[in-house]
Amino acid sequence: MIKNIKNSDKLKIFYTLKLIRETQNQIIDRYHPADKMKCPMHFCIGQEVMPSVLSLFLKKEDSIYSHHRSHGFYLAKGGSLKKMIAEFYGKVTGTNGGLAGSQELSNTDINFYSGTILSGALSMAVGDAYAKIYQKKNSISVTVIGDGGMEEGIVYESLNLASKMQLPVLFICENNGYSTHTHLRERVINPKAFIKVKPFGIKCTYIESQDPEKLYLKLSKIINEIKKTKKPQFIEIQTYRFNGHVGPEGDDHFNYRPKKEIDFWKKKDPIIMYRNNLNKKINNFKKIEKKFDLKIKKIIDDAFIFAEKSKFPKDFKKYNYNNTYSSVVKKFYKNDIKLLKDQEKHKPGQGGKSPY
Amino acid sequence: MENHPTNMKKKNKKRILTFADAIKEAQTQAFKLDKNVFIFGQAVDKTGHVFHTTEGLLKKFGKKRIFDTPNSEQAETMFAAGAANNGLRPVLIHHRVDFMAYTFDELVNWISLWSFKSAGKSSMPLVIRAIIGRGWGQGPQHAKTLHSMFSYLPGLKVIMPSSPSEAKGLLLSSIMSNDPVIFLEYRALYNTKEHVPEKPYFIDLNEPRKRMSGKDITIVSMGASVLTSIQAAENLKKKSINVDLIDLRSLSTFNVSKIFSSVKKTKRIVVVEDGWSNGSISSEIITRVVENGIRLKAPPQRICWPNSHVPMAHVLEKEFYFDHNDISNTCIKLMKS
Repeated sequence: MIKNIKNSDKLKIFYTLKLIRETQNQIIDRYHPADKMKCPMHFCIGQEVMPSVLSLFLKKEDSIYSHHRSHGFYLAKGGSLKKMIAEFYGKVTGTNGGLAGSQELSNTDINFYSGTILSGALSMAVGDAYAKIYQKKNSISVTVIGDGGMEEGIVYESLNLASKMQLPVLFICENNGYSTHTHLRERVINPKAFIKVKPFGIKCTYIESQDPEKLYLKLSKIINEIKKTKKPQFIEIQTYRFNGHVGPEGDDHFNYRPKKEIDFWKKKDPIIMYRNNLNKKINNFKKIEKKFDLKIKKIIDDAFIFAEKSKFPKDFKKYNYNNTYSSVVKKFYKNDIKLLKDQEKHKPGQGGKSPY
Repeated sequence: MENHPTNMKKKNKKRILTFADAIKEAQTQAFKLDKNVFIFGQAVDKTGHVFHTTEGLLKKFGKKRIFDTPNSEQAETMFAAGAANNGLRPVLIHHRVDFMAYTFDELVNWISLWSFKSAGKSSMPLVIRAIIGRGWGQGPQHAKTLHSMFSYLPGLKVIMPSSPSEAKGLLLSSIMSNDPVIFLEYRALYNTKEHVPEKPYFIDLNEPRKRMSGKDITIVSMGASVLTSIQAAENLKKKSINVDLIDLRSLSTFNVSKIFSSVKKTKRIVVVEDGWSNGSISSEIITRVVENGIRLKAPPQRICWPNSHVPMAHVLEKEFYFDHNDISNTCIKLMKS
């Protein structure tokens, strides 16, 4: 078990925290009045801790199936910022060819998928994990859900399946206390989601701290265990979204959450806290941070330029169907499509008399 | 018809299989052809073996390839989606299509649009087999077909076979297709028999099949209704009315050209469908014929279920379902107009 975290890993975490935060800020700043990103977006300012730490433990063959507040996890999985911004612009160079937008940001190349109808992604991760076992791979499936998503029935069907079938899934719940504008207290008896998961025989971990290093130690242990035992585990992290539920605009003028509560969480801003922490521990930290800032600014600027320059998609209809078959079919027919149409060759009968 | 099993008895000893056996053979061959194919669903590996269509598979291939699940239609469906997204070819079975109502979100928001939203970079090669239709006193929750609801969704292929040899070729194609397929098996067909070639073969998932040729009237049908239509057509032949009969096979992505050229010839069309007429496949076919400006000699007709849920009582069932006489009578009326 890891007890000490290497400085290089600490800096990687800090870099990802900042990359996610700054990307969100820049999108929010540039959204209006430019009006070039014309899709709803769910930002994750304040919730950067989980993706930033998780990013250190995932390999390419591991997959993430995320909720709709997905930008952080996409970047944590090594997703291209250029393709992400291009997707928001609705450009053909985007992750989804401009057909999905922020809400369903997905990229097969890095095994990252997301969707906005709450809990389907969590369930999909279970089947994905079965494929990993089936093909004897040592990778894991990660799925991220919010406290709102944890209320859907499919979640409990999926937890049961994953537990019963012993599949290597890491279930992550980012509990930010609100389903859109409705507080947990209005929705459930017990605000902690993991309480509902335990009875399925799944090992659960609950994290209140916003300290990335505490999470690092827990995650390294959990992911090791999942790989070794091939059993699912569940981790819930208490977190808070600083921005509004959706869109670049804030929504606190609806007064759905107390100012006291917002201030409490902003005081615990994971980036500010971790910066203070690292400043004490790492030599020349301020210089390093400056370097990070410059690098991040450049990546983001480049991404926006790339998105601006990219073309809009022309096709959409053709993507509904693949209209292709497994290569197995080609073994039977030299020109599969043509010969498949020539099915009269198998000369079926009439299948007998009507059963009625 | 020359290939009708009853006409083949003297000629040769061709293999005759039931619809259920043909489905089983397709799955067995798919298992052998591609190690990524697996079957799962509630009680698929035991007792009734889904109307005998999965019998012996567990013994032959083991529980990795075929397994039972808890009663979790939603999670089962997304399990299939996740497995398909990661390279496997799942076949999920529901003993009645009615249980698929649980899985509306999975079909509508995930599976049907998976390829689309990835701009063609991802695919979803899965099959959902479901048993549909009339059965002994099955009543409102166990006898629906729901095929037109599935066909409404872009991205899904909806297949309804009408005979054993059709079932084998269509199921093999469905399993090897890179698109998600809803494969609907009319319950009454399982014991129907005909010659089924032994080697694996694949049938185009977009191409209807001409079942009978005639110059007077076009009947388009699907699934078990094709057999009822054949019965009607044979009776009509005695009255010198020759039917051009098309088996639609594929309910959402069918190529329309066979239907058009038939209707251009006969100038009369009847669509026979086991399902409600509101928003039906029949409505779709007739609309396309009319939109295309094909001149008809008589108003197009639909023979469907009444827009009512399915009654259980035996006497009402008789009233609810159409039979071959209803089809012949409609055709005779059309010929007079």
